[in-house]
Amino acid sequence: MRDETPITEIVHALAASPDFARDGICFAARSSGLYRSSDASQTWQLAYDSLRPEKPLPTSAVVLSPYFAADRTVFAGVPGAVLRSEDGGHTWHTAALSSPPPFVSVLVVSPNYLEDGCVFAGTIEDGVFRSADRGQHWAAWNFGLLDLNILALAVSPDYARDETLFVGTDSGIFRSTTGGRAWREVDRGPAGLRSTDFAPVLSLAISPCYATDGTLFAGSESMGLYRSRDRGHTWTRLGENLLSGPINSILLDPQYPKHPRLLVLVGDNLLLSDDDGETWEEWHSGLQIDSAMTCVAAPLGLDDSAPLLIGTASGEVLIVNQKLLKEQP
Amino acid sequence: MIPPFRKPRVRVMQPTIYTNMERVVFQPATYRGMQRGINQLVNAIRPTLGPRPRVVAIDHVDYHDKTPQLLDDGGTIARLIIELPDRDADVGAMFLRDVLWRLQQQVGDGTATAAVLFQAVFQRGVHYISAGGNARRLQVFLEKGLQTILEQLNKMTIHLSGRSELAHIAETVCYDPPLADMLGEIFDIVGEFGRVEIRPGRSRELEREYVEGMYWERGVVSRGMLDGDDQLRIDLEESAILISDLEIKHPQQLYPPLALVIRHNIRSLLMVIGDISDSAIGFLLSNKHPEKLRVVAVKTPGWDKEQKAWALEDLAVLTGGRPFVQAAGDSFERIRREDLGFARRAWADRYNFGIIGGKGNARQLRQHIAIIRTAFERTDNPNTRNLLRERIGKLLGGSATLWVGGMTRREINERVERAKRAAAALRGALREGVLPGGGVALWSCRPTLEAMARAAVDPDERAAYHILADAVAAPIRAIIANAGFDASETLAAVKQHGPGYGFDVVRERVVNMTEAGIFDPAIVTKSVAYAAVTSAAQALTIDVMVHHAQPEQAPLPDLSPPKKL
Repeated sequence: MRDETPITEIVHALAASPDFARDGICFAARSSGLYRSSDASQTWQLAYDSLRPEKPLPTSAVVLSPYFAADRTVFAGVPGAVLRSEDGGHTWHTAALSSPPPFVSVLVVSPNYLEDGCVFAGTIEDGVFRSADRGQHWAAWNFGLLDLNILALAVSPDYARDETLFVGTDSGIFRSTTGGRAWREVDRGPAGLRSTDFAPVLSLAISPCYATDGTLFAGSESMGLYRSRDRGHTWTRLGENLLSGPINSILLDPQYPKHPRLLVLVGDNLLLSDDDGETWEEWHSGLQIDSAMTCVAAPLGLDDSAPLLIGTASGEVLIVNQKLLKEQP
Repeated sequence: MIPPFRKPRVRVMQPTIYTNMERVVFQPATYRGMQRGINQLVNAIRPTLGPRPRVVAIDHVDYHDKTPQLLDDGGTIARLIIELPDRDADVGAMFLRDVLWRLQQQVGDGTATAAVLFQAVFQRGVHYISAGGNARRLQVFLEKGLQTILEQLNKMTIHLSGRSELAHIAETVCYDPPLADMLGEIFDIVGEFGRVEIRPGRSRELEREYVEGMYWERGVVSRGMLDGDDQLRIDLEESAILISDLEIKHPQQLYPPLALVIRHNIRSLLMVIGDISDSAIGFLLSNKHPEKLRVVAVKTPGWDKEQKAWALEDLAVLTGGRPFVQAAGDSFERIRREDLGFARRAWADRYNFGIIGGKGNARQLRQHIAIIRTAFERTDNPNTRNLLRERIGKLLGGSATLWVGGMTRREINERVERAKRAAAALRGALREGVLPGGGVALWSCRPTLEAMARAAVDPDERAAYHILADAVAAPIRAIIANAGFDASETLAAVKQHGPGYGFDVVRERVVNMTEAGIFDPAIVTKSVAYAAVTSAAQALTIDVMVHHAQPEQAPLPDLSPPKKL
């Protein structure tokens, strides 16, 4: 299954509705703007029509509320601002960040968004911005964040109780246990137990059972994939020989750790592990894409029959299904 | 507890010898005199121990203000007792005063506990030595027992985090719940090294403000460089930073850096310089096109050469620039673009300048902070520790200011002092963890010390452990007694509950101290034990006192109004 989309620029981020199986809504953040699909990536429309931008509005990040089915809230990161839509991406409100305009690299919404209204924006050069009023106002909170180049941001599924976030930066990982108001280095342990020895961290993934298992994964630019089982205090490198390229994306099975399945985007390859990162195989050797993959999303989990959304450097968004690919000759 | 009787050695009672110039005091007058002084000082401080302290009134020290000063802080009380009329007693009091004051400076709290512990060790030590014990051997075994106490305290230490736990700790020091809650929030955010300024407020309320980025106490060299009609502040975006301690005497010295930034189309420049002449300031102010280039000059932060060198080094790491150092013979003549630092934002007002989002290498910055942290851990000098802590706090990128309000100026000042002590205790708690509070942690060392005493063969060693086993109960006894309860009865009830339990004097019941959230900063308790035991053991070795003859005091001038003729 392959859909040639009408847009031709790099795909920075993908986000799908939590109710994707029913509504088929997904978004693609691209250099020319934010695109929306209501038919599971078959067709795409520019979501900024109501803004009537004079020139393309580059969009570098997109995220949906965990309660999207009810509140229809979408956030999109554009230069110097975060756009907010409360009608599923049809109309937008703008909230400026600060001057000089930051480049928003990643957006994350609190799992407890319904109650706390917290949204976080990671930026290049300006650290983390935090909004506690559903994206209306933003403030930079960078106490202890020694590297303001944010490449990845992950929030604890138990955020309502532990207020924990992790950021991957140009020089490693930082943790906040104060709801993003203060940050501490996690790489201060003895060598060998550190995460990436100050290497850039491009991707993070937190276990859905983080409250009990304290597990998170970090993908670096050049030092491979790491796993911590103690909330980031000590780290173990995984797939040392195989995972040597930049790890741009890490996806965990929604049933993790019961189903310890991981999918990582390493350079131009999708690799799958069914044993919590101990052994790896190609996601599907028959998958051939013309340009480099930039991001990946699994709206219905990592089962063989579940679709995978793949964004590419040429602006395509592919929807692929491993089961169907396997059935093809 | 004194070890079994043994025949005392015969002590020759020596007379006190007076000469014209000095007075020499021998035993037992030495111990008696010191005990008098120590008891006077400790008895003045003891009522302040615990969460239900009583207040000590100090006679007015200000000539114009006759109101007595009301204090509940042992360190300050000790500091204000500057001399006892009995010179033998004065030696003991001043010895202890010095110990308490140094402790106050180091950890901010624990002086009353230390005073009580010191007194207990000293008094029991004097009894033992008077009965024939050897002071020097006793000192050795007291210090050995101290190591056991410290090991026991380390085992009991727990690390805490979170606003409410930190607020609990602050409250054990300042006894002011709203203030403690505010300090808990602030330290939860800024951390152990965070920069926190505590200032007297202008209202009755407590207020706090968080400032992003780092700043130094040096303002612009001329108000003409500030923005707007009110000229209060200037903000620069994507600013270049020139880092130096050079003295700019002539405007010509500024030509190379200005030509460089113009050549590279840089729109704003923050110049950090050692000093600048009026003519050079006038040259910078003559800029007719601020929209093309904004230049702001501030002086190099720091009060001495070392602090200035630190500031230059920190600025260079933060912004990725190279410092130009006068002592190295540097000049701006061959300045290159790579020599400039850069920041997303820089600002300055009349008193401070700051940087937000320095564009230095983050890895180098983290390694730089790690080096300063190591230096901080290794130094014992309180001043150096403070300077290094401030330096780390600046580099961590953010600061908090707490304005402490109150009904009267006096109340505000007292609250500010309490806030500062609580802040010092919180830093210690974040760094070294906490222990069960209310004197329970020290008291919990007693069974181990008693077991050591039972196992000891040497009488001096046995005596030392017995002395310590008795002394570690002194603080908890004082806390209970200060709250108006019978210490022996209450401690018997606590013992029945087992280890970890203590008496909550506020709720007036026996509780598990950890579950009740009653903690003391571990660094305070450990510093108290160390300071009290080592100094009491040392005081016990004092055998002779020599008083220098005081010079005859000149008569004070008569300030009474002149009598009418």
